[in-house]
Amino acid sequence: MNAKCLGFLFVFIGPAYSETYSEELFIKPLATGYVYSFFQFTVIREDDSFKHSTLFPHSLGDIIDRFHVAELNVDLTSGLWRHKSWGYPAVDAPSGAEISARFHNDTQDVDKNWYGLTNALSGLLCTSLNFINSANSYESSSDRVYRYSNLPRENVCTENLTPWKKLLPCDSTRGLSSLLNSGRVHNANYHSLGIHFRPLCLAGKCKYELRQTVSLVYDSVFISFNNNYDWSLRKMFGTGLFKTCPLADYSKIYLDTSSNSSVPYLISQEPDYMLKNNIAVYNLNGIFHLSAIVPRPKIVVSELRPLLYTDRFITGFGQEYGGLVTRIYNDHKSSIIATVIENIPWFLPIYYHTLKVTSNGVRVTPKALIYKPGKGRVRIYYLEIVLELAPRSVTEISVQFDYVFLKWQEYPPDANHGFYIGSAIVKATIPRHATSLTFDKSLIVDNLNSTGSDYLICLKTENFIITLPTPDFSMPYNVICLACTVVALAFGPIHNITTKRLKLTTAKYVPGLASVAQKLYVWLENIFWSKKKNKTGKAAVVKVFVPEELSYHPTLGHVSEEFMKDKVDYIAS
Amino acid sequence: MGLLTDPSVGHGALTSIFVRHHNRFCILMYIVSVVLFCMLAHYSLSSQTYFSENALLPGLVKGQLNDNTGSSFRDHFRELNAEAQHYETETPHAYLISKFKNLRLETYSHNFTLNYPLKKNTKYTGRNVYGILRAPRSASIESIVLSVPYRAPSSVFPSTLPGLAVMFQIAQFFRQQIYWAKDIIFLVTEHEQLGMQAWLEAYHGTSCGSPGVLDSGKLSGRAGAIQAAINLEIHSDKIGHIDIKLSGLNGQLPNLDLVNLAHRLCNKESVKHTFNNVDGGAIGRNKVNSYYTNLSTMMSMVMTQATGVPDGNHGLFHRFGIEAITLEGYEKEGRGIYSSVFQIGRVIEGMFRSLNNLLERFHQSFFFYLLPSTDRYVSIGLYMPCLVLLVGALFLKAFSTWIQHSSEHKSGDPSAQATIPERLNVGMVSVIILGSHVVGLILLPNLAPAYFTHFWNHIPTHRALLLGYGSLSITSVCLLPIIMNKCLNSFKSSNWVLLHVICLLELGIGLLCVSMHNFSLGYLTALVYVLPAVCIKSSQNRIIVKLLWLIVHPMCSLFWITAYITFTTYPELPISDFLTKILEASSQWMVLSTIDNMIYGNWAFSVGVLLLLPVWTSFWCLMFLPTNVSQKLKAE
Repeated sequence: MNAKCLGFLFVFIGPAYSETYSEELFIKPLATGYVYSFFQFTVIREDDSFKHSTLFPHSLGDIIDRFHVAELNVDLTSGLWRHKSWGYPAVDAPSGAEISARFHNDTQDVDKNWYGLTNALSGLLCTSLNFINSANSYESSSDRVYRYSNLPRENVCTENLTPWKKLLPCDSTRGLSSLLNSGRVHNANYHSLGIHFRPLCLAGKCKYELRQTVSLVYDSVFISFNNNYDWSLRKMFGTGLFKTCPLADYSKIYLDTSSNSSVPYLISQEPDYMLKNNIAVYNLNGIFHLSAIVPRPKIVVSELRPLLYTDRFITGFGQEYGGLVTRIYNDHKSSIIATVIENIPWFLPIYYHTLKVTSNGVRVTPKALIYKPGKGRVRIYYLEIVLELAPRSVTEISVQFDYVFLKWQEYPPDANHGFYIGSAIVKATIPRHATSLTFDKSLIVDNLNSTGSDYLICLKTENFIITLPTPDFSMPYNVICLACTVVALAFGPIHNITTKRLKLTTAKYVPGLASVAQKLYVWLENIFWSKKKNKTGKAAVVKVFVPEELSYHPTLGHVSEEFMKDKVDYIAS
Repeated sequence: MGLLTDPSVGHGALTSIFVRHHNRFCILMYIVSVVLFCMLAHYSLSSQTYFSENALLPGLVKGQLNDNTGSSFRDHFRELNAEAQHYETETPHAYLISKFKNLRLETYSHNFTLNYPLKKNTKYTGRNVYGILRAPRSASIESIVLSVPYRAPSSVFPSTLPGLAVMFQIAQFFRQQIYWAKDIIFLVTEHEQLGMQAWLEAYHGTSCGSPGVLDSGKLSGRAGAIQAAINLEIHSDKIGHIDIKLSGLNGQLPNLDLVNLAHRLCNKESVKHTFNNVDGGAIGRNKVNSYYTNLSTMMSMVMTQATGVPDGNHGLFHRFGIEAITLEGYEKEGRGIYSSVFQIGRVIEGMFRSLNNLLERFHQSFFFYLLPSTDRYVSIGLYMPCLVLLVGALFLKAFSTWIQHSSEHKSGDPSAQATIPERLNVGMVSVIILGSHVVGLILLPNLAPAYFTHFWNHIPTHRALLLGYGSLSITSVCLLPIIMNKCLNSFKSSNWVLLHVICLLELGIGLLCVSMHNFSLGYLTALVYVLPAVCIKSSQNRIIVKLLWLIVHPMCSLFWITAYITFTTYPELPISDFLTKILEASSQWMVLSTIDNMIYGNWAFSVGVLLLLPVWTSFWCLMFLPTNVSQKLKAE
């Protein structure tokens, strides 16, 4: 009861600034047999001092406030968005973690704020964003206060989803977020959690918008059990919708029925109204369920043929030389201007002179090119190329690199798994009708209604792993043994040479295997024939030199002949 | 402990024993090496195989592949057979593409062109088809390949259509599983190894052979780093046994863990599995392996590996750091229990699920081994000493020759104070060594054969090559003695120890290097060349030694080997047919070897012309060089 009262109290004495919250879900069944669903939870507020808020997550507001963040994008993704069979997503995020931020223009030490921000976010979202340092982040070529980084190795899991859901006003108990059950989310072919914060300024008056997004792609193979392309909310998310979030001003589901033209299908519920003829809109108020019966087409559609898509791979084998190739396919009938940003980690030093840009096999010169060479363990290799992609062409950017030996402590525990190389970014403007869902307006409904002709898309290429020269880590024991043996063998003679003075003495015979036998023989001879021989045995051991042997001495080795002569003369005398 | 500083090393009593009896020691080392090698197959020297990589977890899950969902194996097989009958010599690409698309795989095709290197303007084209199953649990950074070579009905090799049907069945089953963490590439190649090589080169964007020979084209779909590959050649739907093949290009072998995995899973699904078509028995069954079967299995492995030619499409993967094996299923002949395709399918399922578990790429276990049986192995530490003994004999010979020479010189007349270069004829020796190597370089497969075929363009390629290499060899063999005797009279007062020592050392080091990559090739070559090389002296070689050395001329060795193989294959041939057959076969072998070198980068031929031929020629020169010793004797 007390808590309720307090709640009321807050509502009344709270700030005059208004905050609005809306929940939206956009579902797009694809002709290729996949279902793309995009959740968007939007909070818009008019104030940027996050001292107090009712809907805006306070923990995040605190971080934004403290580190002078003007704009923030965080995406945690598992799986790879496949443009060829899925088309374009609302938010293109590379596999792993990606974060970019723009700080206020008056920020003094941007780097300090950047590391502070990433560390704070890593705590907030249970991610490894704290591994971001100067060696894996870059600043924009034109913008002093912009920072970007991605961590391709980041595994996105339940531990990220739970804190992410905690940021929502209704948590996961009510509304669309109750559909996000971790078990189901992680069974998707692709899932991406996003936090996007930005100011929306119009004529000097600013609003602040926070959008939390989830992109999920389900394969009909796993959600329908009869070899058809059937889907339903329950099959995808494991549950239907029971309660809407009372805090939301706006709670809707949009269903893109454009694939209906190729495969006609049945939807269980009549939409409340249609938008632009092919988008069915459902207002949510209470228990809701949606399912569709989609027959499998006679001819399987395997590609959606997007206008622009990319392909990136490593060439070469072994660990000597390698090449990095990024291909951009332009299927549009007119040329497109595209910007390609490659950020290559320092352990793949690239050779700038091998950079080659070809279009359909013909070498072309880029319109603009910015290259910032990397530095071992400190800075990435940054390459930004602006290109004009000819109509219906394949443009290929290739560059050669070296494999670097790392220090032994720089290898991860599973060194033989390989090292992750993050994605490149391709930015281009394409006609709006070629994209499925745009992301420039605050609400999905605005984006769907938008009438602009062009739209800036940002494609993220695939990640890959490379095998750096990896020592055999089970080896150290053997190496230690071997090294110790060598040291032990070398120690004796070196110690002898350095600590003792060389002094010439009379020859003393060092017994070898053969001479031992000989000695034995002499000894036995002495025993048996001792009476017959003179007692000069010991003196007889002294060797008398024959002239031919002069330059060579049994123990002293090659000694100058003059010396030997002296010695012999001495002995002889 | 005077190991590093004692200058008297090399002059001790032990050394003098070695120097005095070096020939006996050499022979002894040779015999010990052969005996040790034969002993390797014995139970006590080989050890039981085991899994070094714990992440594989083989056999932890029950195979689930069955006929219950979707089309059955029979449907696939019937459909495929009907389709194959339409195309006598070609691959039904359109059918394969639509089949993969219907299985909802990302499907691509790949074109390649071979510019036949020995004939101008001759081109062959081919097309591979592959489908990629995108793993739901990863971002396409790693993948596993399942490949089947497509063989049209007109092919001389046994059909692989049942294997292809098994692949369809597996692809259909795999597509419905959510646990994949690595993409799976289903690849159907054309033109046997050529298609596979082209695909691999295109995947890695490189070229391995001579430039311009194989135009491998471009791929538009990739799936990250390939971790492992399994090549499937199933000849029938009733399988007697599965043979697991390993030998790769230039004798490279796959990681032993992968081989063990295949054997272990065959065992689990009670499929009879063999290595080089010899059953090694299995756990729980009676061991059929006696010492002799083990030895013959090991020898057959050594023979296969020594050729450097892969015995299946898997062999081309190894160069790219991809572990790969071939599972070849032979038809069950006669009546009795056979293995169904589902058992085979479950073996493959098990292997893929194990490979799916891998966290790191294969790096544990052995990459160098010999297998005397399906479940026993000989590690590199045990078989290398055999070769080291042989090479050691060469080094011992070189060492003692040198020591003898230097002591002889010291004990000889000290008045002849010739400087070292004059005494050793450094100039002449380097001319001989350099000359023989330059000739070897010219004879490399990407230089000489093109000229030969251009010169004799009216006769078939293989005859032109035989004629070219044969005439060059005969000329050099005949002319060199005359040149050495007549033209180098001015060098009468010299001895040729330096040449002798260099030849011995080069042969020894060369053999060591070869065997580091391909033990079998190194060891077999050493077996042939070490004994004659040890018999040769610095001067005054007897005629029998010269004859012996002539017999092991690289060309002659080729003839002996083909003669032996021809004799074992066709024992009933009359002698004239037999000889022509040998000539034909060896010339064809030469053509294949040059082509292999230019397309795949097989270096068996290069070893012949860059190591064996120069060494042989230098030794041959050595035997005919004039020496002063003979004059001395005459004078006496």
